[in-house]
Amino acid sequence: MILPISNICGKNLSFKAKDGEENAIPQTKEMLLNNNFSTRTRIGLDKMTKAFTIYPAKGLKGSKNSNFYEFLTMGTVPYIVGSFMLISIFNSVNKSFAHFNRSFASKLGNKMALGVGLYALFKSVAKPLITTPVKWFTGIDTEIPYSKVYSSLQEEPDDYNNLTNIEYHKVGESVDFTRWDLLYGNRNKGEAPNFRYDKIAKKVGLGENLNDSDQEVKPIYKEVLIKTKLAKSFSSYMWAAVGVMLAFQKPWEDYFNVATLKFWKGKEFGHSLKVLSNSFKESVKELYKGGMSGSKVDKYSGKVMLGLAVLSTVLGVANAIHINNKPSKVTEADVMKNHKESVVN
Amino acid sequence: MRPTNLIQSYVNSSPITQQYNTDKTVRDFDVRKELSNRTFIKPLPSNGKLIHNTIFDVPSEIAKDIKYDTNALRHAVKGKANDHELGRLNDVAMKTGGLAIAAYLFTKKQTPMTKLFEFIGLGSFFAAMDLWPKLMIQLPAWLIHGVNVRQKYEDSYGRKKMFYQDHQFIPWDLYSEKEINKIGDRLRVPKDIPNRREFIQEKMRKIALQNNTMWMLTAGFATPLMSALICNRLEQPIAKYLDKKNDQKASALLTNFSSEINKYNFTKETEELSTILSKNKDKPIIPKVINEIHANLASGMDNVVSQAIRKDLEKMLQYDKKYSITSQTLINVNKVLKEAFAPVGLSNDELKQIIPDERALSEAFASHNLLGGNFSDFSEHSKVLQRLLEEKITQFGTANPDNPKAAKLDFMLTKFLHSAEHGKNSKLIDVFKAKSAAVLTDENIKNIKSISTVLNKLKAEVSVLDKYAYIKVAQAPETGLANSWNTINNSFLKLMHFTPEEIKKGRYDSEIAGEVLRNRLEQITANKETYQEFVAGMQQLLASLQDKMQPLDMSQDESKNLYKTLVNSSFDEAAGNLGKYGMNHAIEALVGMDGIQKTSAKDLMYEFVIGRIDGVKSSLYKLLDAADVFYKISHNQGLENILTKDMPREVKEELVEGVKQILIGGHASDYSVKFWQKRNPNPNREDCSDIEVVNGKVKNKYHGKTPSSQLVEFANDRVYFEKLMKLMYGNDLHPDTLNKLTSTVIFDDFKNYREAVLKFLGGDEYFAKPNFLVDGQRHISSSEYKFRLAGCSLDGMFQNLFNNSFNNNKWFSVFGKLGAVLVGATLLSQFFIGRTKNPDRIMEDK
Repeated sequence: MILPISNICGKNLSFKAKDGEENAIPQTKEMLLNNNFSTRTRIGLDKMTKAFTIYPAKGLKGSKNSNFYEFLTMGTVPYIVGSFMLISIFNSVNKSFAHFNRSFASKLGNKMALGVGLYALFKSVAKPLITTPVKWFTGIDTEIPYSKVYSSLQEEPDDYNNLTNIEYHKVGESVDFTRWDLLYGNRNKGEAPNFRYDKIAKKVGLGENLNDSDQEVKPIYKEVLIKTKLAKSFSSYMWAAVGVMLAFQKPWEDYFNVATLKFWKGKEFGHSLKVLSNSFKESVKELYKGGMSGSKVDKYSGKVMLGLAVLSTVLGVANAIHINNKPSKVTEADVMKNHKESVVN
Repeated sequence: MRPTNLIQSYVNSSPITQQYNTDKTVRDFDVRKELSNRTFIKPLPSNGKLIHNTIFDVPSEIAKDIKYDTNALRHAVKGKANDHELGRLNDVAMKTGGLAIAAYLFTKKQTPMTKLFEFIGLGSFFAAMDLWPKLMIQLPAWLIHGVNVRQKYEDSYGRKKMFYQDHQFIPWDLYSEKEINKIGDRLRVPKDIPNRREFIQEKMRKIALQNNTMWMLTAGFATPLMSALICNRLEQPIAKYLDKKNDQKASALLTNFSSEINKYNFTKETEELSTILSKNKDKPIIPKVINEIHANLASGMDNVVSQAIRKDLEKMLQYDKKYSITSQTLINVNKVLKEAFAPVGLSNDELKQIIPDERALSEAFASHNLLGGNFSDFSEHSKVLQRLLEEKITQFGTANPDNPKAAKLDFMLTKFLHSAEHGKNSKLIDVFKAKSAAVLTDENIKNIKSISTVLNKLKAEVSVLDKYAYIKVAQAPETGLANSWNTINNSFLKLMHFTPEEIKKGRYDSEIAGEVLRNRLEQITANKETYQEFVAGMQQLLASLQDKMQPLDMSQDESKNLYKTLVNSSFDEAAGNLGKYGMNHAIEALVGMDGIQKTSAKDLMYEFVIGRIDGVKSSLYKLLDAADVFYKISHNQGLENILTKDMPREVKEELVEGVKQILIGGHASDYSVKFWQKRNPNPNREDCSDIEVVNGKVKNKYHGKTPSSQLVEFANDRVYFEKLMKLMYGNDLHPDTLNKLTSTVIFDDFKNYREAVLKFLGGDEYFAKPNFLVDGQRHISSSEYKFRLAGCSLDGMFQNLFNNSFNNNKWFSVFGKLGAVLVGATLLSQFFIGRTKNPDRIMEDK
């Protein structure tokens, strides 16, 4: 079992099982985790490892404990395998070709491989372009992870060990079943129950010291979550497309000529990195300005695609932070004061 | 926590306010009645259903999905979408991103085929993503186990979901008892076991889970692979389809010629011309004006025609580059001189002493007869001016010996005289040439506008004809001729039965390719049946080319060749109309003179087409000719008139070897230098026996036996050259070849080709070997024509073929095998899926 990554409630939690602790169950309930690079990376690695090992093994066995989370996590497998397969299709047989054909085929193959890489890179980088500004403007972090603990059913009569499993989800993973409960503060830790909701309420302009900020914030949270998800989908795929377009620019060929991953050969590796940076800059320029053909389509196609990607991000963020469900401001006169008599019709 | 349980909602709250809100309310459902007996409270009956769509439902399903996605987008933008809608929108976004990539790469590609394949690639990728689980997982599982592992259902809200999406929440109630039992029977579940339904369900769940896991594990390999294989297999049919479309497009250009030329709009050019003309009406025609008029009239035309138009225009406008000098000219000269000497810093009075005024200039020019009349050259004026200035500067220097500016004046004069930039007039010359003697009259303007109309029409016509010729025969990818060349070339490999080993070997180098080709030709020609089969195949391929290029056959009568007709009529009509304005140079450049149209623009339109087709045909005919010569050698027939009885056997062997080498590897340059072959200077003259051939290969008795160091190239043996040429192109075709070709459409063309090669390549004079001429006759032809006749070398041509074939086959063999293994493993896995131990049967009480 891979232990939970980080715990907001217990900062000193160890990620490694201590000696003799292998069979102990250190975590018995769901916990919010810090949304930082380290946690995200560890969760990513944990999920990827399981996607290639434990989950397929359970699936192939037909385990009664297999669930939708495992199925979704296994979705990484075709992505990764498919990427390598795509690169291989365009590169692996090139070495058998005659020299001239090889160099010609390799040019396309290298661009294709780079395209696959940049697709993934741009797609991941595009997501924070939406979620970070949304967090700045609304205080709503749509990406807060939490670890979920559940017990599996016994598959074999003598199977008593390792029945506890941990899954990594996000609070806002589902817009229909958002885990509001996890956002409440822990009284035992001295946290106010609504302290997270209070922060959001203040940020979105609902005011401070609200009696039930959670009830006020939840509809807003949901709206922002939905809009952010929409923006994230379109924007990330548009940026991923830009990544592929970028990979198909001519200046990369300079890099392919000197590319090396042999980092122990300092000079060559350094030179390769320098050319990489130049090729990147030149490719961005070429994508924006168009190639040598000088045709109108060539001149504007890159600009249009880049423009669409930028537009999808800007519009996505603008829509996400524009909240429709905000309750109308309550004036002093509207509030019933309990020390005064009131008549209700 | 607030109650989220539906049952609790009913129990704890007013039934009216908490009534379950669904789009599809159950008929006759009375919530009060349901609640009256709380003991039997149960969840609402499901409105969901299993989806059993057939192929005929696809269009309506697509329409429903589009509607659903549109609504989902609307909801999401407003922040009101649900998880299912957001999931669908993620798919839409992925496809939109894919389309963006394809659209961008589409703009980067040059040819229709490569452009189209950007979208085919994308489409095949998504198709593969969808088809792989359907064909390799769902279908085999259904056939083997009788379970649909990708069963879909529609939930109470009308949302389509996978039935086995979440194994912890499978809506089994959607399957009726009957359906489940039917599947159970198919799964061979015993009928007399306890909880049979649960057991069947568990078995179905297990089969679905195992299959879905297989899907996840194989999709990464299968999707790109399937997509690439689909594209690979689609390449040829699509190329064929596009070729047909291209051909139709080209034909439509000519059949709708008049409407096609109307698509070219010259309004902008006409308006520009009108502006130039109206702006300069009744004004002297200065170089700038004539340049502008000429640029407008001749834009888009080739240089020869353009220059001819310029000449005619100058003549028509009486623009002989002469200028008149007016009082304004003299004022301007004075002004230029003042500007030139301004940097010296003289006062106005001092400057007046140096710079001659209008009157002084007039007198100076008049005294040299340089005033009044028209001038084209102003060097005399410059000289007069120079002398005048020198005189004044000297006077100034004498009068002001201490003034440092005096010395500076000399320098300024020299600088002024050499002030013009390279290729440009000096300011002074510009002033002199300001007033042209010719004037743009109303009649000129009228004529120029008419000429413009004629030329614009011709430009449009030529553009359409050029477009047609380009689509049909240009030296570019995916033109009609290029497609034919590729199709025919690819057929050679099949026709000649090259083995994969030969293809692999021959792709590296043209020498090796030549060797492979030679061996194969010798093998084919050694046997009458295989040879005849080869000639018949060649004939069919060449006939198909002939057929395809038939509309462009320039040897045909005009009435049968629309391209020729339209070229002729367009140019002749333009020439006729230009004749009205005396544009003789332009007419000559367009259609030639006195019936001789060689090198005219019209002739170029013919020659371009003829040249391209001939170049392709020559290379193909060369192979056919080589086969005939090899056949004659293989059977030692039809060679008697060259390999005569009194010819030493060694010379015969040298000739035959030379012929084979030239036919296989001969380039145009080899023909130009009259070939080069090292031979034995002292052959055995006693042995004049016939050559011996075994299985198509000459068994040399002498050739190759003499050490190479003793062999020489005969720079004076013109007879040997003649025999080589005649052996290849002069000899009659073998009767077996004749039988196959005589009555075919290519026969005359092939015969003409052989005669032309013998005549023009054999009769071409090479300065180092001036007597190396067939029959001693010299025939002059252009180097381009000779190059076309020689065609490409067969070894180079086959090396390319081997290369392409190897590359395609290699790729297909690697990934085809991988695909087959993947399919095999996926299908085989079905037999290990769904294995469960049957529970014990119910024992009857005895």
